[in-house]
Amino acid sequence: MNFSVLATQFWSLCLQGVALGFIYVLISLGYTMVYGVLRLINFANSEVVMVGTFATVIAQVTILKNATDSDPLHGFKLIYTLIFALVFSALICGVLGVLVELVAYRRLRALGTNRLASLISAIAVSIVLSEAVRIYSHSAPLTSPRLLEKWSFGEVAGANFRIDTVLIIVAGSIIFFALDRFVNRSRLGKAIRAVSMSEENSKLMGINLNRVISLTFFIGGLTTGAAAFFYTTVYETTQFNVGFNLGLAAFTAAVLGGIGNLRGAFYGGIFLGVLEQFSSAILGSQWKSVTVFLVLVLVLLIKPSGIFGEAVQQTRT
Amino acid sequence: MNKKIQRSLAVVSVASLIFGVSAVSSAIAAPKTVYLAFQAPLTGPNALTGQDELTGAKFALSEYNASNPSVMVELVLADDQGDPTVAASVAPGIASNKSIIGLIGPAYSGATQASLPAYKAGGLALISMSATRVSLTDKKAPVNGFPIFKRVVANDKFQGPALVRYATKGITAPKVYLVDDVSAYGAGLAEYAKKTITAAMNVGKDSVPANTSDYTSVVAKVKASEATVVIYCGYAPDAAKFVKALRDGGYTGVFASGDGTLKADFPVNAGKNAAEGSRLTAADVPFENVATAAQMVAFTKLTGIKVPGTYVTSTYNATNIFLACIKQGAISRPGIQNCITNGSFKGIAGDTIRFDRYGDIIGGAAVGAFTIKDGKIAYVGVA
Repeated sequence: MNFSVLATQFWSLCLQGVALGFIYVLISLGYTMVYGVLRLINFANSEVVMVGTFATVIAQVTILKNATDSDPLHGFKLIYTLIFALVFSALICGVLGVLVELVAYRRLRALGTNRLASLISAIAVSIVLSEAVRIYSHSAPLTSPRLLEKWSFGEVAGANFRIDTVLIIVAGSIIFFALDRFVNRSRLGKAIRAVSMSEENSKLMGINLNRVISLTFFIGGLTTGAAAFFYTTVYETTQFNVGFNLGLAAFTAAVLGGIGNLRGAFYGGIFLGVLEQFSSAILGSQWKSVTVFLVLVLVLLIKPSGIFGEAVQQTRT
Repeated sequence: MNKKIQRSLAVVSVASLIFGVSAVSSAIAAPKTVYLAFQAPLTGPNALTGQDELTGAKFALSEYNASNPSVMVELVLADDQGDPTVAASVAPGIASNKSIIGLIGPAYSGATQASLPAYKAGGLALISMSATRVSLTDKKAPVNGFPIFKRVVANDKFQGPALVRYATKGITAPKVYLVDDVSAYGAGLAEYAKKTITAAMNVGKDSVPANTSDYTSVVAKVKASEATVVIYCGYAPDAAKFVKALRDGGYTGVFASGDGTLKADFPVNAGKNAAEGSRLTAADVPFENVATAAQMVAFTKLTGIKVPGTYVTSTYNATNIFLACIKQGAISRPGIQNCITNGSFKGIAGDTIRFDRYGDIIGGAAVGAFTIKDGKIAYVGVA
């Protein structure tokens, strides 16, 4: 165990953990939204984020014609490129989310099959997506150009407030609170919440169930696509198998916070990001997963519904 | 069955008999062909390693087949993606194909380890051009390659110390931070590198599993340790992510790594500035340094490549050892095995290659030192 690293790097680890946590938060929203309305885990969400990372690189390199080794952009061109890549990735993932619902869930739901069939069909879609991208990319890593120069706002207590770190935290917060308000305040959000509370009653109230479920998958896809954009902006590389670890971490975050609960996903994601950083720093990187899953098991033993669980009914999707 | 069908079947049977016989006759007339397998990552994140090495094997084979030998040799490609799990599923198919009399490779240590049970059962001789893990030729190791495995590269017992030597060269009172990727290769190389790092030099060690995206906690530890040299034992895709995270995190010291990182796509994936000046080692010398001018022209003509990649020299040597045995009439698995174990061969640089009982070259092999200059790999000399 190496506690000495905390003497100089404590706040740096906190900041990096929060930034990583925001990526997990955005992906875990995809899991939690779907679980909220269907009571099913969308295992294909991990591959949706992987597709999003590829969409981000395609937007930057193929559509906007930036070479992989091009110099960082500045001014309007930078802002336009980043926003375009963010929107492109989010839309691709949103549409993919809807397609996943159509292919893996809707027909089985209409046939009234048990939940296990839907879970297996989601895993099948996940494998199809992963293999398709593997073949497309020849299994090779895809490098994203460094379009955002990684300058720093400055250091506070050893924590380096780099532009990409700050961008994730600020933009991730905005996206989360916008979604939270949408679900709690808007008419469509109320419909989503109504379906999550009772499918039968919401049908009696005239809510179009299929439309609401598709909308939920679309919104989950949008946040997952945003996460994919931020991931690619920070790490500047992706690969066909990148979704597995990200999906697993985000799913863990959602379960930690209380799956089906938006604010639970938020706190779960941030907690997980920080926990990963500290366990890697103190125990060694190879102990990261052990620590994370040990904490998950302990949390579920003490509180099976997660840290927030069913307690925050109002915020449940 | 009506008579028409019976007649038709008879005609078909006679025809196939005739053609079958004529096919056998022509097979007797044609020079005999034997097959060598080539196992390496040909697709996947480490594909460049295998594709580079394949050029060495193809070139050696083209030289051999052009000399009008009585036995022609063809390659059978086995793509293990450098992944032990893939290798374990590929190896039984190769081992059961009795027309294959020897195997060039496997390229990676983990893939070799996973393939060994199938090849041992099939009695197939292997000569690896780049699997450097020490345990593969260690008689005390639970999974070693005896008696089928040989390699034409220096193992990590040589590369580990050479890597530390080169990484710390010219650095006053170096502070070394060692990181491995937990793979069979990375952990093995790190083990032997660590033995060379003195207590005064050692400021920390970490193991980060391959395919990790986020290296910020390791960067934090490197910064806290005030390391001036970071040595990474792992493969190019992860090394690219790590060096990028180090430079973005403000680390300005030396970044060094072994042959797993010595790939042309390492500086590409790491970005223009991050990889520049990295110090890399490999148990290999560049092919262009040892090939004749005529060979280089022929190599470029055959492969379309002007600057041969990593481990082309050792692959060329490994292939030529098989070809020398075939020339001597060893065209069965036991024959090849016997020839390789007891024979003495010439490397392209004029060196003599003979294997010890457990498969390493007697006298060891040189470890080359490389750097990244202007985004490209440049050979520096012997590490």
